[in-house]
Amino acid sequence: MRILIVDDSAMMRAMIKRVIKLADVPVDAILEASNGAEGLELLQKHDVQLLLTDINMPVMTGAEMLREISMNERWRGLSRVIISTDGSTVRREEAADLDVRCYLEKPFSPEVLRDVLNELADNEVAETD
Amino acid sequence: MSSTNLPTTKLPKLTDAEAATAMFEAVRAVAEQSFFAVAEPGDDRTFHAAAAKVPRWLVATVRFEQGPIAGAVSCTLPENLANGLFDAFTGRDPGEPTPVSTLVHDLVGEFSNMVCGAWLTRVESGRTFTLSHPSVEPAVTPGHAGDMRLVAAIDDLPVAVDLRLRPAQA
Repeated sequence: MRILIVDDSAMMRAMIKRVIKLADVPVDAILEASNGAEGLELLQKHDVQLLLTDINMPVMTGAEMLREISMNERWRGLSRVIISTDGSTVRREEAADLDVRCYLEKPFSPEVLRDVLNELADNEVAETD
Repeated sequence: MSSTNLPTTKLPKLTDAEAATAMFEAVRAVAEQSFFAVAEPGDDRTFHAAAAKVPRWLVATVRFEQGPIAGAVSCTLPENLANGLFDAFTGRDPGEPTPVSTLVHDLVGEFSNMVCGAWLTRVESGRTFTLSHPSVEPAVTPGHAGDMRLVAAIDDLPVAVDLRLRPAQA
């Protein structure tokens, strides 16, 4: 599985990477971007199965990036997870419209993210079978 | 504890006692869940006594905006607490080389971002706010209170969280 992490905090990306490595998830590569525009660029170049993205970022927000993704047939099978401080009901409803599979609110413990990753990996295997 | 910059219908909800309680709950949630640290409520006297022993601070500010509501949340932490939070967040062994200041600043910015977002979710969950990328500055004093100041202790070290309200940009 190739995973793309999009967050404007280098430390948050590093923490997510660390949790991915601790999770029981088969990982081929972990890609990183610091905003939505960089994220889209990486998605164009690489075959990514799981996207973990923040919302509030400079240049292009996570919501804007997810809107672009939802309009492109190429990324129909991409699993999308939001990891954001924005826990508003408005944002959660918007995420549901953008085919987001999980909305993880910051702050979260590493164990919560690990469980989300394991569940997504299990679903991926089940869908493949 | 008051401001005249915003419509009065909006101000009470962001600066009243309930909002202050929500701010502490946000700080506690961030400290405990993401940094494995203990946050306790504080008072001005204890804060100033502890603050007098702190040589260097970091001030991380996140601006927020949604329609007529705009402002900024600043978290002011002692530099040694920032380094401790860095170790907790990254799993860095204290024997490893000291992290460069840009990474510590990034982490304190993320701390402030989480506090601001968690607080706004608690006080205005029906609105979605735009948050700025955090700015982080060193300081030699913990500065002055804005429209609302919360003082607390994280791992027994003094922390101040200031809320400043301003009119939204046209």
